[in-house]
Amino acid sequence: MNTAQAGTLESMDCLVTVSEAAQGAGVKIQIAGSSAARFKSAMEKKAAEVIASMGVKDIDISIQDNGALDIVLGARVEAAVKRLIGGER
Amino acid sequence: MRRTMLYLPGNNPNMLTRGYLFGSDGLVLDLEDAVAMAEKDTARILVRHFLRQGEFGSCEVTVRINGVDTEYWKDDLAAVIPFPALQGIRAPKVDDAATVKIIDEELSIIEEKNGIPVGRTKIFCLLETAKGIWNAYDIASASPRVAAIIPGGEDLTADLKTSRSSEGTELDWARRMLVFAARAAGVDPIDTVFPRVTDDAGLRKETEFIKQLGFEGKSVIHPNQIPIIHNVFNPTEQEIEKALKIVAAAKEAAERGQGAVSVDGRMVDIPVVKRAEYTLVKAGLLEVK
Amino acid sequence: MAKNALGREIPEFIEGYGKTKLFQGAFALKPEGYRAGGKIRCVNNTCTDKRVSGIKAAIAASGLKSGMTVSFHHHLRNGDFVVNMVIDACAEMGIKNLTLFPTALFGVHKKLIEHIKSGVITRIMGSVNGPIGQLVSEGGMDVPVVLRSHGGRPRAVASGDVHIDVAFIAAPTADKYGNICGTQGKSACGSLGYAFTDAQFADCVVAVTDNLQPYPAAPVSISQLNVDIVVEVPSIGDPAGIVSGTTKVTRDPLRLLIAKYASELIEASPYFKEGISFQTGAGGIPLAVTAFMKEAMIKRGIKGSFGLGGITGYFVELLKEGLVERLMDVQSFDLEAVRSIGENPKHIEISADWYANPWNSGAAVNMLDVVILGATEVDVNFNANVNTEAEGALLHGTGGHQDTAAGAKLTIIAQPLLRGRIPCVTDNVYSVTTPGEVVDAIITEYGITINPKRKDLLDACSAVKGLPLVSMDELVSRAHKMSGPTDPVATEDRIIGVVEWRDGTVIDVVHQLKKK
Repeated sequence: MNTAQAGTLESMDCLVTVSEAAQGAGVKIQIAGSSAARFKSAMEKKAAEVIASMGVKDIDISIQDNGALDIVLGARVEAAVKRLIGGER
Repeated sequence: MRRTMLYLPGNNPNMLTRGYLFGSDGLVLDLEDAVAMAEKDTARILVRHFLRQGEFGSCEVTVRINGVDTEYWKDDLAAVIPFPALQGIRAPKVDDAATVKIIDEELSIIEEKNGIPVGRTKIFCLLETAKGIWNAYDIASASPRVAAIIPGGEDLTADLKTSRSSEGTELDWARRMLVFAARAAGVDPIDTVFPRVTDDAGLRKETEFIKQLGFEGKSVIHPNQIPIIHNVFNPTEQEIEKALKIVAAAKEAAERGQGAVSVDGRMVDIPVVKRAEYTLVKAGLLEVK
Repeated sequence: MAKNALGREIPEFIEGYGKTKLFQGAFALKPEGYRAGGKIRCVNNTCTDKRVSGIKAAIAASGLKSGMTVSFHHHLRNGDFVVNMVIDACAEMGIKNLTLFPTALFGVHKKLIEHIKSGVITRIMGSVNGPIGQLVSEGGMDVPVVLRSHGGRPRAVASGDVHIDVAFIAAPTADKYGNICGTQGKSACGSLGYAFTDAQFADCVVAVTDNLQPYPAAPVSISQLNVDIVVEVPSIGDPAGIVSGTTKVTRDPLRLLIAKYASELIEASPYFKEGISFQTGAGGIPLAVTAFMKEAMIKRGIKGSFGLGGITGYFVELLKEGLVERLMDVQSFDLEAVRSIGENPKHIEISADWYANPWNSGAAVNMLDVVILGATEVDVNFNANVNTEAEGALLHGTGGHQDTAAGAKLTIIAQPLLRGRIPCVTDNVYSVTTPGEVVDAIITEYGITINPKRKDLLDACSAVKGLPLVSMDELVSRAHKMSGPTDPVATEDRIIGVVEWRDGTVIDVVHQLKKK
């Protein structure tokens, strides 16, 4: 299975791992880490927004968080998806 | 004012979020040396998100792109230029006027494509080789976009086949040359970084020296360096008081239609008034004209 | 269910705590009546040696039985051996159902979890941090923990709210007749401030020492008048965990920025004058505030009267340089502080009662001009929470937070607005430790936020050019904007923690976390 990663586990960052999903599987988002307890909904929303804006419909996303704000989360999701699509590491 | 221009590593969310809070005059979001080769893409995306949505207070915002000898620089420019938050780019390894022209042309193309007034994006040139320093005046006057020229530190000493000393002997001539070239071309001379981040006394000494040479400010690699550099560049209370007197006297004389004025028994001519005005600008007491 | 003065829902009766008194305001409750007395003892010259051999013999001699209350002090901090040693022995002796009444617990005490699970300890009155806090928050104890401040605790003892059956006092130095001090010996910890009230009021006081000196040992902190049993053990603690090395001022730019704003506020306030007194503790930001204040004091040519509370080497330096006249030390944080309190008569040991008790003839906090505190969150009404973390678990003791805030003329909470994504400023704190009426300013990396009721401070700051004033509205909307909306903490109805205000009224309760 094709996967890609972007981000780090440094403070205020997150590590986003994305994997190809079968057609029709939809977007699945998993969140763990420091903000997961209180910001899960907000983070899911942001990740879903970025995915939608990139026109991706089927993907698995796993976010290991260390305090990323939306602005960072968005950038990391975008970077991971671009790496996946671009076939780069 | 460009007393302090703080480098923020382009792949560091913490610094990109908080960097502007430390009160520097400018920021340099760094896509070059602070970013590992394998992370050029993620840093570029992160910096773009911050330019679009981030906060920078009243800082002058620039991005240091990768050199024109790399595969990254055009992508860097395309990613960052469209955002109004960006005021300039810092270009590394500028050796000659031709390098400036290449960047200038690329900037014009991107600006035009994005409906931005052509020429809006300023260029801050890093002169990191002996050749670059030798060509300093040509570089500074190669394009109206050039806002400042900055000597390299580590790269330049390596190119000179010497090493960095605490006295900065090896950079002495380059710094003097750079101030002359910048002033002659009407751009700002801005100094290189002081790498020893816990040596507060050394930083103060070096800043006093480069201020005396005529530099407008200094590049900064750690927020704790900012107050020290500002302290050196800020006019003292005595200087401010004297400047206020001179400017007031000049204004009064102008209203009475007189040219020359005297303050405290000394004749004051136009260059002195200009310098006094500049002192007040630096003290935040006068708007830049 | 009734609402207290802060609008918090407090049941009239809490299982395992009893009838509640509602918080009415920081200074509203006026006590009446008399202090609780201690047990009368009579020891004549047939007893010239109070030593027993071994911790179990001491426990047996103390009369400690199942169901009683045992107390400990926390001056040995994370190096403490005594709490675990005593409770282990109790467990082996078949003693159960104890109420643990420590002045604070540390990570090293996570060993108590096995004794909580086996029923040796069934109730805790005192701070629960780390793993014990997590256990309690998830419903691991049948009886709620009671959180009291450093001043609220001696008040509770002296007023009879809490009766101590046996106090075990870790004693870095003791003699055979029970004269104790903390400044000498291999396990020296400096001040023994938190142990005094327990020594005075417990039915039986046991000194546990690893440095027995010939009678009479001197200097004396707690004297033979209050000590019933002395027991010698090989070691009461690990020096590396008891005191830290030299406390250094942080180089972290964010903390320095916040500290600089805090010191600018202090400098602009009417309290920055000859004779200023302050408490800054050992945290990164407060210590840096002290460093900035030192610079400002030298520049403006003023000297302070005293430094209070937990004392660091940095404070000792101020004393040596004559920038403060006295140190009033309830807890010595580092080696320098321990050395100084043992040598310098201007560095005085004070008890928790003296430090912070609201119900005596005047605690030291009343004389305090400025205190710098932290908090996990502060809300738009300036109410502060120091007990629970973002996920809703009990993680910190109250410490002197309530007492110094109530006493000081200028109470500052200095804290980054964001720790990761979690904001420290919210609409409504998850639980209240200290009411907004005694909090004067919040300092974040975005500037100085002054409680609007302190119009005098606002005016003083507005008069100084360049002070970054930020209103509470601006600050909280910035927090919202950057962090986004929070998900609520999922809780059960059951109360697992009761947060008392320093006067013994209930300021808030903490509920059990729902299983994930």
